[in-house]
Amino acid sequence: MAEYNKPIPSIDPYVNKPFWDGAKEGKLMLPRCVTCNKVHWYPRTLCPLCHSSNIEWIEGSGEGYIHTFAVQNRAFGGWADETPYVLAYIDVKEGGRHATVLRGVDAENPESIKIGAKVKVEFEQADEDTYVPYWRVVD
Amino acid sequence: MPSNPSMSAAIIAAAESDKIGYIEEGTTALQLHIEAIRNVCDAAGIKPKEIEGVFSPSHSSLLAEYLGIRPKYIDTTAVGGCSFQMHVHHALAAINSGIIDIAVVSHGEAGYSARKNKGNGTLRSGAGDPWIPSNQFGTGIYGAWGAPSHYSHALTRHMHDWGSTKEDFAQIAAVTREWATLNPRAVMHSKETHPNGGPITVQDVLDSRMIVWPLNLLDICLVTDHGGAVLIASAEKARSFKTSPVWIAGAGESQSHSDIMAMNDFTATSAAASSATAYRMAGMGPNDMEMGMIYDSFTVTAGITAEMLGLTPRGEGPSLWANGNASPGGKFPVNTNGGGLSFSHSGMYGMMLLIEAYRQLSGTAEDGIHGLPGKQTNAKSAIVNGTGGALSVTGTLVLTSDV
Repeated sequence: MAEYNKPIPSIDPYVNKPFWDGAKEGKLMLPRCVTCNKVHWYPRTLCPLCHSSNIEWIEGSGEGYIHTFAVQNRAFGGWADETPYVLAYIDVKEGGRHATVLRGVDAENPESIKIGAKVKVEFEQADEDTYVPYWRVVD
Repeated sequence: MPSNPSMSAAIIAAAESDKIGYIEEGTTALQLHIEAIRNVCDAAGIKPKEIEGVFSPSHSSLLAEYLGIRPKYIDTTAVGGCSFQMHVHHALAAINSGIIDIAVVSHGEAGYSARKNKGNGTLRSGAGDPWIPSNQFGTGIYGAWGAPSHYSHALTRHMHDWGSTKEDFAQIAAVTREWATLNPRAVMHSKETHPNGGPITVQDVLDSRMIVWPLNLLDICLVTDHGGAVLIASAEKARSFKTSPVWIAGAGESQSHSDIMAMNDFTATSAAASSATAYRMAGMGPNDMEMGMIYDSFTVTAGITAEMLGLTPRGEGPSLWANGNASPGGKFPVNTNGGGLSFSHSGMYGMMLLIEAYRQLSGTAEDGIHGLPGKQTNAKSAIVNGTGGALSVTGTLVLTSDV
């Protein structure tokens, strides 16, 4: 495996561990409030919509849609090798909006990338315990 | 029963550091702060130690120590470029409640010198502290490159939702440059001040280097060195200075998110809320405003904010700059100093909004700062809106002249 040369998230054991445990198995785990039944993002110790502390983790479909995007022509560290690349925000099917770098798009031709296009999550191994989510355009 | 703070305090003087812009010999944030405070005290005819409240992002305690001020009120609100609009809001509240009678709001930021001395940006191997959400799930791990990486997403979405075009937003940069050509202190005043200075067209903006699609170089503000300060005094005290007061008729602040990954509507900011509060306090509305100082870190920032302030219909923000309306001689002058796009922008631009609004409404724009006069408008009221973070936080002021 090529060494992952980009910033690696340091896992917060108190709030987010279920997400990273799922990522390791290729699952998109999402926090859902038991009280209002809504999925939120990013994971919190209380629901930002109804303030309940009763939160469960569900396995999401791994599907979503592009909300907006921008082409990065400059970056630092390991990301510098990847330019140009497309930073995007994804509306996840179950709820919540996730930041990502898009795969399966032509960064040289941003007009070809469509807001609303369907995307699926995939995970790239960064170190022993950390698998970073990326989203790929599938239609 | 609390009283409405409207008009209970005024900005009584405004000044900049001795030098602004690209200071080739280098400077520091502290130096810029101190020069600006000394200059604003000279303008008002007071000694720094007479100041009772010290307001700045982060540095207030140090500034007070350095200047020998024993403050009764210290505020270090630091939420990006709109911090200074909030400082004015907070000073107004402190004065209205009788805690202090005179305050300084100060800015010093060596955006250009710091970058020149340290190199451009920093390399990071890890994403940073795990308790900051963006370091786990946001731009901390996906290699975003500063503010342009964030603001570009808003323009992409605005074009999608409202059918706007890059040309619409480029026009904001071209009109703002018209104002810069009338301000000899502006970095982009002319070919003499900068190789790329002087008038620009919409086509020039579209032809400039692509930085983060859809933002071109000329959609993006400068990165300069800049210090500035304003003095705020109670209504009673304001009349005792030799300078003209500019009244704080309304003030408001709000936020929609902190990190852009929590931004719900990419084409709207909290300026709708902060301006509603400010207008209500002032008993005025968008139609009563005669000019605007609208934070223009990017063309998209200014365009969207025009909508939020009620100056245009939703989705049509750039139309404020169309047909010469916001240009010199136009009906509604906007960013009369040449803006963050073409005048000066050190990283946090909110102080420059305040200084220019003070100059316009006190009728001192043509007197000049450091011997360099600007363009005077006839405006008697101004809407001033700062935007901080990644379209995150806003502070709005309604200011009125003393005539």
